[in-house]
Amino acid sequence: MSSKEELLKRLSDGVLEMEEDDVAEAAQEYLEAGYPAFDGIMEGLVDGMNRASELYEQEEYFVTDVLLCSDAMYIGLDILRPYLPDNSGEEKVKAVIGVVEGDTHDIGKNLVKIMMETAGFEMIDLGRDVELQKFVDTAKEEHASLVCLSTLMTTTMGGMETVIHLLEEAGIRNQVKVMIGGGPISQKYADKIGADGYSQNAVEAVKLAKRLLNIA
Amino acid sequence: MGEIKDFNCTYDNSAGINGEVTAKLNLTFPDAYLHHETMAELSKALKEHDGAAFCELPFCHTVEAEAMGGLVNYGNDKTGPRAKEYICTKPEELLELPAIDFTTGRIHEVLLACKELRKQGQHVVLQVSGPFTILNVLIDARYVFKGMRKQPEVMKKVFWKLGDEILRFMEEAKKYDVDLISYADSSGGVNILGPKMAEQVVEDFTFEFLKKAEALADDKTMILLCPKTSFALLGTGHAKFKDYLIDSGTHYGEACIQMVGKAKFAGQMCIKNVGYQLESGIFKELQLI
Repeated sequence: MSSKEELLKRLSDGVLEMEEDDVAEAAQEYLEAGYPAFDGIMEGLVDGMNRASELYEQEEYFVTDVLLCSDAMYIGLDILRPYLPDNSGEEKVKAVIGVVEGDTHDIGKNLVKIMMETAGFEMIDLGRDVELQKFVDTAKEEHASLVCLSTLMTTTMGGMETVIHLLEEAGIRNQVKVMIGGGPISQKYADKIGADGYSQNAVEAVKLAKRLLNIA
Repeated sequence: MGEIKDFNCTYDNSAGINGEVTAKLNLTFPDAYLHHETMAELSKALKEHDGAAFCELPFCHTVEAEAMGGLVNYGNDKTGPRAKEYICTKPEELLELPAIDFTTGRIHEVLLACKELRKQGQHVVLQVSGPFTILNVLIDARYVFKGMRKQPEVMKKVFWKLGDEILRFMEEAKKYDVDLISYADSSGGVNILGPKMAEQVVEDFTFEFLKKAEALADDKTMILLCPKTSFALLGTGHAKFKDYLIDSGTHYGEACIQMVGKAKFAGQMCIKNVGYQLESGIFKELQLI
């Protein structure tokens, strides 16, 4: 039988190498051997995803690679998650994320979601072409700390500013930090519309989110 | 073999549908996106707003996919048509989609609008989408990327199924007098795919596809390539630039119009960058090798 360390390495390597079947097999073996699911997730799957994001930062991995790594990670999570004890962790910081109305380009948004989930945030993904009011309503209902807005199109950028106004109207602007990103977006634009931050890529988005919320 | 460079979309260009233009027209949206008369009127208004040398059609990248069964949200006066829910989850399902019928639906209206504009003496750029852009309407990109890694042969068939439809669309465009056919697939750029996968796409599809498309360029029609595609061909050693001298300071769109019948492929700049001028007076034809 494989040791815990060996199985954790298989989980991590399987994510890094985008091998869903290997991850699923290792996750099953890991559970059957009686090891704790929480360690399997954090030291196996999340470790693999962190290694993938390092390679992404170094431009060794590209968008497609990270998406496929995350597929492998989610396969493992589906297997291990049901075995987490109820009290296995503190409450996660919630973030609402989506592509603003009018735009359907969601690859960047998906990357940010993956990286932030890996970093421990609870991501409420509204998808693409999202009605602007929905960001506000969801942030309110879920008591989210962050609203993450993405767009790749100049024609839909204005929707980000509208969301900020809608958050003000709903009286919750001071309860959430607004992060924006996407092809035509810049720090200058973030300043102009009153967003709390802009990040150029998914790895930076995690750092920004932590900075905005004073999370170490 | 060199390296595939990326072309960064600048966004200092024609942004397409916007409220500033549509507010001045007596049109109803999204109905205006569906009929050739209103498409032509809107296209001309956008041309004037941008100060462009040509009219562009369609206003989105969904007509090909819709004609193959894709679901489209037609939008409103501020934002044009875009994709709704995906209709496929497996690459194999894409192979079962129907061929495009160019005699009906929005794609037919687009062709009629092109003809109408040509009749009015306008130059028309028909924007034709490449496989990745079409697939964006039909299936989540992650299934495409996964397919390329795990089922490369199936994905090659998918690319060619779409490629054959695109070639047919280009042939149809010629029948409707389109003088400039632009081909772009920015969703499949090296910035997204990475260098290895981008090269694989050129080898499996783009180069052979464009060799077929090249045969459609003639004395009345030129093909404009998105610089992302040009750079992918140059970086893999499948193309070279040939320089032509024209008047310095000519706008890129004007230069393309002048070169119809003389060059088969243009590809040094994004055609949407309507303000771009060839300061050096050099028009670069992309030649496949």
